Amino acid sequence: MSSSPFEGLQESQDGGVLSHIGGLIRRRPETITFMLLVMICVGVALINPAFLQASSLIDIGRASVVTGLFALGVFVILAAGGIDVSFTAIAAFTMYSMTLLVSKHLPGLPMVVIILTSVVGGAALGVINGLLVHNLKVPSLIVTIGTQYLFRGILLSFIGTVWIMSLPPQMGAFGRLPLLQFESANGATITLPMYFLVLPIAAIATWFIINRTLMGRAIFAVGGNANVAARLGYSLRTVHIFLFAYAGALAGLAGIIHVCANRQANPFDLVGTEINVIAAVVLGGARITGGTGTVSGTILGVLLVVVVNSVLVMIGIPSTWQRLVVGSFILLAAAFFVTRERMK
Amino acid sequence: MLETSNSQGRFLELRQIHKRFGGVHALRGVNFSLHLGEAYHLLGENGCGKSTVIKIMSGALSPDDGEIVLDGRSFRALSPIQALSAGIETVYQDLSLLPNLTVAENVALSEQLVEGGGRLGRLFDKSRLNRTAASALDAVGLPKTPAFMGTVVSELPLASRQLVAIARAIATRAKLVIMDEPTTSLTRREVDNLIQVVNRLRSENVAVLFVTHKLDECYRIGGHAIIFRDGECVAQGEIAQYTKTELAGLMTGRVINSRRYRTGSPAASQLFSTDNLGQASNFRDISLSVRQGEIVGITGLADSGRNELAMAIAGIKPSTSGSMLIDGVETMIRRPSDAIENGIGYVPEDRLAEGLFLDKSIFENEIALIVKRLSNSLGIVDKQEGRRIAAKLAKEMRLNTSNLDMPVGSLSGGNQQRVLIGRWLSISPKLLVLHGPTVGVDVGSKDMIYRTIQTLAEAGMGLLIVSDDLPELLQNCDRILVMNAGRIIAEFDADKTDEDSLYKAMLASTTETVQ
Repeated sequence: MSSSPFEGLQESQDGGVLSHIGGLIRRRPETITFMLLVMICVGVALINPAFLQASSLIDIGRASVVTGLFALGVFVILAAGGIDVSFTAIAAFTMYSMTLLVSKHLPGLPMVVIILTSVVGGAALGVINGLLVHNLKVPSLIVTIGTQYLFRGILLSFIGTVWIMSLPPQMGAFGRLPLLQFESANGATITLPMYFLVLPIAAIATWFIINRTLMGRAIFAVGGNANVAARLGYSLRTVHIFLFAYAGALAGLAGIIHVCANRQANPFDLVGTEINVIAAVVLGGARITGGTGTVSGTILGVLLVVVVNSVLVMIGIPSTWQRLVVGSFILLAAAFFVTRERMK
Repeated sequence: MLETSNSQGRFLELRQIHKRFGGVHALRGVNFSLHLGEAYHLLGENGCGKSTVIKIMSGALSPDDGEIVLDGRSFRALSPIQALSAGIETVYQDLSLLPNLTVAENVALSEQLVEGGGRLGRLFDKSRLNRTAASALDAVGLPKTPAFMGTVVSELPLASRQLVAIARAIATRAKLVIMDEPTTSLTRREVDNLIQVVNRLRSENVAVLFVTHKLDECYRIGGHAIIFRDGECVAQGEIAQYTKTELAGLMTGRVINSRRYRTGSPAASQLFSTDNLGQASNFRDISLSVRQGEIVGITGLADSGRNELAMAIAGIKPSTSGSMLIDGVETMIRRPSDAIENGIGYVPEDRLAEGLFLDKSIFENEIALIVKRLSNSLGIVDKQEGRRIAAKLAKEMRLNTSNLDMPVGSLSGGNQQRVLIGRWLSISPKLLVLHGPTVGVDVGSKDMIYRTIQTLAEAGMGLLIVSDDLPELLQNCDRILVMNAGRIIAEFDADKTDEDSLYKAMLASTTETVQ
């Protein structure tokens, strides 16, 4: 046998630093994301040192929360070989209905209950996705395009179209609750809000599910080959329902945080940002065909997209360029991975 | 679930199992029982219901009628988890590995899944996973280093994947191991090792059920033969009591002898030759020739360079040194289209991945090479003429369907191969390179493919058969060339040699001179 299973590994050991990095990128594609992120940060810091101030870093952290929660959900679905475009509609549905419910009928509801209800509500809508995907045996892209319109249609037709400008007080307070607070050089107060913590907690929870539980392995198994996974005894139904429920729960959470952070509930919000989130996950190294990806890669992808969105202005590039840059990155990264595969 | 009498050592019994797919009655009342510690060989042509019966035993399919008695308990149907927790492990023909998971996970994750009855909301134990994987990999002769166990399966060569699939089957305390064509991509040494594994399993009171077309391996392993034909079990008994001809007769329902198919003799004129052809480290100094109407066999171990040579002649992976002569004219073949234009046809080894459009019809597959010729100046294809040609080819290739609109994916392996060969006949090549022409093909289809090969040679076509099926080469060729470490080290007259001499040449270390 000339084709020893170790050939690839030995090659990368013998071939010096370059091919060592090549091997690393092949095993952990998010290395590329990380390098891109570092390059951008260094570049921006050189052009405009103000970037390195605490205030801009905190801005980036704050802006990452909602996109990051969405992205974790998309990552889990992508890992199982599916795709979801309905999560923004789920978020909009839960955040607006919840805000309306609390301000009209249950003004005294504690914040913890509000958050939990949103999470459960999002999960319930996700279960609908899961059941449809499993029972109709239709690609999840089609199903979730359908449910995105459905959820949004129900929200706008039956629940309301009016902006809620004054939030219930406990929600407003949660949005302002500080985790870190200090004064910047120019005297302004800079706050890293408490809700920022939700993102690392959700990331750790997702990491744990993916890497430590049988469900995590089952998700990757289904993403690798669903028929084989079923033959080996993994229940596709359980996996499908879990996936979409989990993504729905994260979307519900993201929605309520979005409201608290912006101090208003706009029912037309969020929907339309799906591609931005999917772009972040794909930049983080998850393949659209499923079965790959990592939580750390996903978070790096989110940071990359958020940094690009927020720093272009700092170095004097119009914000309309943002899409152009993200698009080029996606194509660059894709071309890079493909050539690596071929060289192998 | 009813308690039924559990006779000594009987592990699994199928009673009157029926299965229908749409209008096809795939299993028509199958009965047999499997005892612990025994070896069984499920034999039959492609499409006789072997795969269906395996899937019913492993829980991947439910029977329409009948009873499965497992360890004395009666079931209407099994679920995958029920079958696995009862100790039925299956090595599927497609290996059923998860390409994106590591070797260790593929081998040993099932153990923990089955233990929890398939529940997914549980933690998994990584160190135990590695322990189980290491001992199973060791048993099949694969390395148990962390680097290998952490390799993602899609990066492994096919032979290692096959062994990984076998390792998964024996990783847990199996009681019945089913192997569907487990040796197709294994070398002789790996097959020997597998047979040792099987013997060890039997001594540990595990039942082993083989599905294979390689009768020689069945005789080496011994045990019981269960012979299927058209969805029914037509005979059972000690395999040693049947001759090969008898087995083939039972499987096909007609008499097929293992005589030499080759009857004609080649013309004198040279058709094709190579002069010191070489390709990087894969092969070198290849000088061979094929006359009109001659059938030349090339064999060797998987790493002997035979596969690369075949692909170089076909222009798929071009040669890097030396030259090729067609009708005495030196011809450059840099890409597949060069080969086609110069009258060289190539039927690849992996017909599913490299040759056929599975979801397209027989008609569309047959005319794939002549679409240009069939189309007029506007690029519109003359479908009627195409159909006429496709029907003629299908008849020449003795396809056992007249419906040319059937997707090729719905045909059996033997019929698919015939569609592929038929496609090349549409451009009447001078030289046809057949790469593993009967891999995964049943006895009856083999017979027809061999007859076709002979007919083609008689019509003056030159044929190169690259294969590791030695009886196939002995039965069909005029000459057989043996490759070893990238060179042709021996040439035999096919009617004056035997398998043993060929094996010796294949396995010889290259420093020895072989004669």
